[in-house]
Amino acid sequence: MNPEAIKDLVIKMADDELILGHRNSEWTGLGPVMEEDIAFSSMAQDKIGHAWALYQVLHEQLNGTDPDRFAFLRKENEYRCSQFVEMPNGSYDFSLMRHFLFDHAETVRYESLAASAFEPLKTLALKIRGELKYHTLHANAWVLQLSQAGEESHARMQQALNEAIGLALGIFEPSEHWEDELISGQIYPGEVALRQRWEERILPVLTQAGLSLPDLGRVEPIYGGRKGYHTVHLLPLLNEMSEVYKLDTEASW
Amino acid sequence: MYGAGYIFDEPNRKPLPEQQDDPEKLAVFEARIARGEKIEPGDWMPAEYRRQLIRLIEQHAHSEIIGALPEGTWITRAPGFKRKLALIAKVQDEIGHGQLLYNAAETLGKSRETMINDLLSGKSKYSNVFNYPAKTWADVAVIGFLIDAAAIVNQVANSKGSYGPYCRALERICYEESFHLKQGHDAFIELATGTPAQRTMLQDALNRWWQPIMHFFGPPDKASSHSEKLMQWKVKMASNDDMRNQFLDMYVPKIWELGLTLPDPALKKNEETKKWEYTDPDWNEFFKVINGGGPCNEERLQVRKWAEENGRWVRKALMQPGDKKAFPVA
Amino acid sequence: MSNDSLDPRVNRLKLGNAGEAVRVEEGENWNSYEVFHQEKRGAHHEHVGCVHAPNRELALIFAKEQFARRKKCVNLWVVRSADILAFDVEDEDMFANNAEKNYRDASGFKVMEKINKYKQSKK
Repeated sequence: MNPEAIKDLVIKMADDELILGHRNSEWTGLGPVMEEDIAFSSMAQDKIGHAWALYQVLHEQLNGTDPDRFAFLRKENEYRCSQFVEMPNGSYDFSLMRHFLFDHAETVRYESLAASAFEPLKTLALKIRGELKYHTLHANAWVLQLSQAGEESHARMQQALNEAIGLALGIFEPSEHWEDELISGQIYPGEVALRQRWEERILPVLTQAGLSLPDLGRVEPIYGGRKGYHTVHLLPLLNEMSEVYKLDTEASW
Repeated sequence: MYGAGYIFDEPNRKPLPEQQDDPEKLAVFEARIARGEKIEPGDWMPAEYRRQLIRLIEQHAHSEIIGALPEGTWITRAPGFKRKLALIAKVQDEIGHGQLLYNAAETLGKSRETMINDLLSGKSKYSNVFNYPAKTWADVAVIGFLIDAAAIVNQVANSKGSYGPYCRALERICYEESFHLKQGHDAFIELATGTPAQRTMLQDALNRWWQPIMHFFGPPDKASSHSEKLMQWKVKMASNDDMRNQFLDMYVPKIWELGLTLPDPALKKNEETKKWEYTDPDWNEFFKVINGGGPCNEERLQVRKWAEENGRWVRKALMQPGDKKAFPVA
Repeated sequence: MSNDSLDPRVNRLKLGNAGEAVRVEEGENWNSYEVFHQEKRGAHHEHVGCVHAPNRELALIFAKEQFARRKKCVNLWVVRSADILAFDVEDEDMFANNAEKNYRDASGFKVMEKINKYKQSKK
């Protein structure tokens, strides 16, 4: 197995987790009700924690650089996150819908990694299984309840779904060079298979929620992130995230 | 992070409504407290005790959710994974503390919604210290170390008070504060022992925060009135000056040992009296900030209003008007 | 107010005007649920506090992060505060004589004393 192939997978996963964790952490202290503020913040921390763990795998198993430097100091076009996670938080409806769509994608991905031939990913997948279970339980409860809680709330959730869905499909942008090798090497089942499993998870919930579903076969997935093409929202996020760190990249903070 | 070091009372309020209380019940109540027993929500209590406790706990709760804002300033900029996660977790804890404290106050009969409205309208106060800006990353270290340390002095004292639900909330809060203090101290030391630029940044933050920290425990004892009854009822557990002295005793040496200075040439411990001597901070400034004149009062309330306004649709969508409203039982 | 906060997050919000009144409606923060925490299998569920939630499903979800994000926990219960039934405080005296009713306690039975007395009498 070419280590470049595994690196490609680990980096895109880690970048997704870091950027979405960062975005979701912006809600800490500003959420709709204290109890939810706390829950949402925990899940943001979990995501950043997953990213950290993946960058450590990169550092320790795949000859990569120090996790802090790698996470905080790359150029914008070296990030491999999907454009979905870069988008500003918007209102809580969009944030919740993104959380729902992303965390189910994350869950099916890690479930498949529990059988990965690459041991460090397998270990991580087993370790965080319980965390992800809570995330999707939380996401399902909110999507189901808010979508069925009166006109305004339903309309907001529908609108959020419409905005998010094409972006969410971008999570499953296949690797430019390594997809076949990763599949045949049994590192992971590939983006096409993951997307299908994801659809099987989200569609019943969205149906039960009474939201009208776009025809997923006809929605154009918003790709580009995995190749380093990003929206205008990523660069300011990165500058902000690394502002203090860059004051002195050799110093210890 | 914050202990209600100073309970802001309404100006010109005439004390002593306890005369209306049944003297027999009052005697039983006071004897219970004197024996070291706790008062629980359903117990008879003097109206003034209830009023002061609501005020105390509510201000403490407000201080937690407003206190999340100055440090929140740096959530998206914390350098490196460890600091990033610790800061998010810490700010999250402040919200968690607010949650615990609003519940404790609710057991006394004031709803969370009313308390939030009183905060937003300016009727109810919160700790002055959060009306100052966190200008640099070093401010996060100073707040996390010293403001939290000051809060712990206060909260540990209050946790031995007489009202059960408040004590239980504080026990949990103090447990979490030990993490806050440790991570704050760690970030503080990192800067103090770092590059010259990091040290300068820290010294600058320390200089700016010193006066708000000295203000934290409230005006000197000689200037504060009617706290005797509150002490007897174990609502207030230590005098402002005693707590300030305890704080100075525990933390000034920890600042000096790192070769940092404090912007008060008169600051020293009198080895005979065992008390700290210092220049009186500007108390006019303190009262100016309480009354809305601090550098960040307006922004803090605006942000809280934003959060309430923008979260409203979520809360309203799931309101259960048919549900019988009940306050927390303990 | 103009958005010139030191907090970049705040600068992204659209803050209203300074004097603008914002009022939260009574009931908007939902209802109160008591939370019981089980530290390990076999242990009692202990009361640890409460959460505000619109229903018990979300109460449980909220309780998990508010009361079990640090220490060891294997399960939680939530129950509406309104459903808790307790004695009136004035009725505390119903329990007052518990300590005297030592016929309910092992300590109320001096078995060894009797054995020793018997053994003594046989010498």
